[in-house]
Amino acid sequence: MLLVGQSASAQLKFFALQKDSIPLFRGFAVSFDLVGAAMMQLSDYGQYEGALRINLHDEWFPIVEVGYGKANHEDDPVTGLRYKTAAPYFRVGIDKNLLKQKHGPYRLYAGLRYAYTSYKVDLARDNFPDPVWQWDTSFGVKDEPCSYHWAEVALGVDAKVFGPFHLGWSVRYKRRIAHKEGNFGKTWYVPGFGVSDSDLLSGTFNVIIDI
Amino acid sequence: MKRLPIFLLIALLTACSSIDCPVQNVVSVQYAVRNSDGTSLSLKDSLTVTSTRQDGDPVLLNRLISKDAFSLPISYSHPEDVLVFTFKHNNEKVSDTVWIKKEDIPHFESVDCNASFFHNLTDVRYTRNAIDSLVMKNSFVDYDRNTIHFHLYPKSSD
Repeated sequence: MLLVGQSASAQLKFFALQKDSIPLFRGFAVSFDLVGAAMMQLSDYGQYEGALRINLHDEWFPIVEVGYGKANHEDDPVTGLRYKTAAPYFRVGIDKNLLKQKHGPYRLYAGLRYAYTSYKVDLARDNFPDPVWQWDTSFGVKDEPCSYHWAEVALGVDAKVFGPFHLGWSVRYKRRIAHKEGNFGKTWYVPGFGVSDSDLLSGTFNVIIDI
Repeated sequence: MKRLPIFLLIALLTACSSIDCPVQNVVSVQYAVRNSDGTSLSLKDSLTVTSTRQDGDPVLLNRLISKDAFSLPISYSHPEDVLVFTFKHNNEKVSDTVWIKKEDIPHFESVDCNASFFHNLTDVRYTRNAIDSLVMKNSFVDYDRNTIHFHLYPKSSD
C-alpha cells in the first residue's frame, strides 16, 4: 500500500506544475526543421516542416507540427523503378521539460506525437521483358490513394541563442499505428514518416523563435 | 546528462536504412497431383509442361516423375497463359492444353526490390486426353509457395 501510494504521489508530481510566481501561459514559439529541408535538397525525398508550440509554465509544451513531404525517385539504377509522391502531413502532441531548472535558457524535452498523412503514389517502370515468356511488360500505378497513421516518441534539447531565438534538435522513434497502402503492396516514402519500415528513427534540427 | 549527446549520436547512426526485399520472391503456381479419392498421388508417367512464345516454346517443367507436387511460372502481365501438359508413358506421348485466365496485380515492396506481379486466377479450361480434371483450390498467387492453387487429377495410365 505504501509503495502504491508513493508511486501515485510521484505520478502526480510529474504532472503537477512547479509552484512559483511564473504565470501558466508563457507564450508561443514557431520553429522550422532544417534536417528535412536538407534531405529535400540533397536526396530524392524529404520534407519542409514547421511547428507551433505553446509554452505552459516552461514545463508543458502542446505542439502542432505541419509539413509537406515529397519524394521523386527517378529510374532506380538497379531496379529501374520510379516512385513519386507529395502530400501534407501533421503531428499533434505534447512535450515535457525534464530539467529541474524549468525557467532557464536550456530545455530537455520528452514528448509524444500522433501523426497522419493522406497521400497518392505514382509508381512506374519502363517496359521490360517477362523473364519466361519474353513479352514486353508494363508495370505501374498512378494516383493510388494511401494513408498512414503513426505515433512518435521524441527526445530533444533546446537552447536559447539570443533574444527570442533558440536552436534545438530532437530524436524521434516512430511506430506505425494503421495504414492503407492501396492494392500494389507497400509504399516506400511516406510524407512526414520517411521510408516506411526502415526509418523508425529520425532526427530534427530546429530554428525556433519565441513569439 | 553528459552522456546524452553520445546516446543520441548512437541512436542517429543506428537509424541507417536497410534494404528489406523478400528472400522468397518467386511468384509461381503450385500444383498438387491427386487420386480420384483426393489422396496424394505420385506421377507414374513423366510430365513435361511447355508454353508458347514468339521465339519458341519454353519448357517450364521437364520430365517430372514420381512427384506429387510441382510449381509452374506464371506470366507477368498476360490475360491468359496457355500451357501444354505432355504425359509420356512407355514411349507414348499424350498432351493436353490448359488455358488459365488471370488478373495481374503489380506488386511493389521498395524501389530497391525488383518489380513483380501477384495474380488472381479467374478461370481454367483444359482438354481431357490425359487430364481427368484440373480443379482450382486457391485463386490468389503470390510469394507463398505453400498454398496449393490447383489439384491435378490425371487419368489412370494402367
